[in-house]
Amino acid sequence: MKRKSYYRLPAGVQDLLPDECYNLNTIEEKLEKKFSLAGCSRVQSAALEFYDTYAEIKNKIPQKKMFKLTDGDGSLLVLRPDMTLAVARMAATADIALPSKLCYFSNVWDYAGAGSYTIREIYQAGVEFLGVSNAFSDAQAIAFAIECLQAIGLKDFIIDVGHAGFFKGILEECALDAEEVEKVRLLVNAKDAVGAQALLEKHGAPKKASDALAALPTLFGGVDVLSRAEKYAGTPASREALDRLKKVYDLLKQFGLEKYVSFDLGTVKDLSYYSGVVFTGLTRSIGSAILSGGRYDNLADDFGRHVPAVGFAMGLKRILIALERQGALRPAAPQADVVLFSEEGAEAKAYQAYLELTEAGRRVDLLAADTFSTEDLKNAGIVVLKATKKGVEKL
Amino acid sequence: MITVALAKGRLAQESAALLKECGVDADVVFSDTRKLVLESEDGQYAFFLVKPSDVPTYVEYGIADIGIVGKDTLMEEDKDLYEMLDLKFEKCKLCVAGYPAMKKQLTNSHLRVATKYVNTARKLYASRGEDIEIIALHGSIELAPVTGLADVIFDIVQTGSTLKANGLVVLEEVYDISARLVANKVSLKTKADVLLPLIEKMRARV
Repeated sequence: MKRKSYYRLPAGVQDLLPDECYNLNTIEEKLEKKFSLAGCSRVQSAALEFYDTYAEIKNKIPQKKMFKLTDGDGSLLVLRPDMTLAVARMAATADIALPSKLCYFSNVWDYAGAGSYTIREIYQAGVEFLGVSNAFSDAQAIAFAIECLQAIGLKDFIIDVGHAGFFKGILEECALDAEEVEKVRLLVNAKDAVGAQALLEKHGAPKKASDALAALPTLFGGVDVLSRAEKYAGTPASREALDRLKKVYDLLKQFGLEKYVSFDLGTVKDLSYYSGVVFTGLTRSIGSAILSGGRYDNLADDFGRHVPAVGFAMGLKRILIALERQGALRPAAPQADVVLFSEEGAEAKAYQAYLELTEAGRRVDLLAADTFSTEDLKNAGIVVLKATKKGVEKL
Repeated sequence: MITVALAKGRLAQESAALLKECGVDADVVFSDTRKLVLESEDGQYAFFLVKPSDVPTYVEYGIADIGIVGKDTLMEEDKDLYEMLDLKFEKCKLCVAGYPAMKKQLTNSHLRVATKYVNTARKLYASRGEDIEIIALHGSIELAPVTGLADVIFDIVQTGSTLKANGLVVLEEVYDISARLVANKVSLKTKADVLLPLIEKMRARV
């Protein structure tokens, strides 16, 4: 049969065939259990939302990153570009009781294609701890991220921790406008210290600030990063950020999780909504982050309610890729352990037998007679039954 | 094992020489072979020799943990990776060049810019709020203004001798270019035990 060109999929989206879906289901089940045991309630947000929801807030999603549609009355809609914003909107507008732990399994869409895998439909599992603002909740979120990755069976991963306030604190005394701050952020994020320092010097920033900025890209590694950063914490905001990180590390150490944690004060995430601790899950098995999260205390303000919160999302596709490279994926299990053939005229008997067997927990594939070779099925360890007018017999 | 993407040609030779100075067994890069993956004798490193514009791609995907490539290529490819060090070799400038006195065309108000750095040129002129027409070429860029295909070129200038021989001059030096050490964002953290000391050794030498 001739395949038409429009049978293909648009760029950046994929179907999940049975073997992949089976493995996705497996990790979803593990995460669902983990989420529910930790007291998280599951939510689902609408996939279609108003463009203005994401464009008119303080921490806008860039226009170019959103899939846009037009509604009947001419208003512009988008496919949900971000789950954390969607949860913040829900928490504010639906007046969810605080504190509250919410979780989700949802797609987000990125028109531009995210990161190196240029996937435009991104399936995420995530949690948001709402209405909590202390260091204990930061440590709890990071510990829970570690638990989730362990539950999935991922090996050889670390959680890289930073703080949005450290960078913002350094820039506080530089009097740069928003556009210049964004330029500096991009340079620091690329660890281009020379470029960042040159830009600050051009704007006549104080030497202290430009020295600190030049050091930022080197401030990553073990917990020693926190003591190395001491001398650059010149403003109250950067000082506070550093103290908070120390507190969080101390708690994680008490939880016995310090071996999973590294630090990076030079990671300044794209999403400017982060206000405190930020963290990223990394594994040697894939060259992009598999988990991303942080604290976003002021995010819901735009939607009319102050909800301090911390949370994270896992990219399940990237996690599947990493698991496959670690040899942890399996082909889908056979669909059935019983195949039940029905002879013509014995359909009612066959259907009755099928109901009884499935009720008893057997997985039954009900088929018209002679669809498969009985020998092949038996060799594969599948029980083969046949319903005739006389009754059901084993072949 | 640490994987390294190098830009085929002179840049790869210079990069391998620097890596050797820093204690990396990079002899295999100098060998005459048709192999695509060059593993070091000690099994600690594997090198990929690829087209310069492919170095950032290999590093972004994490197939290569680190790479060495020119700043011009990094700007043009604009990938999500860490730029760790300016290695200060293969220095040149990315310039706008053309005739000293440009003839204004009544029928075309947009400056016509011939370049192989299409993305970089587009961003440069956009940041200045100028509308231009980009003419994408793959080689002998200087021919474009000479034949009237373009008003100016946006290209690498090393010695300027080709420009001079054709009556062209540098109108503006826009970017300083040199070789850069880049790293995958995840590898730098997950293989920090090997990569950080190596980067420090390289930093001490440039």
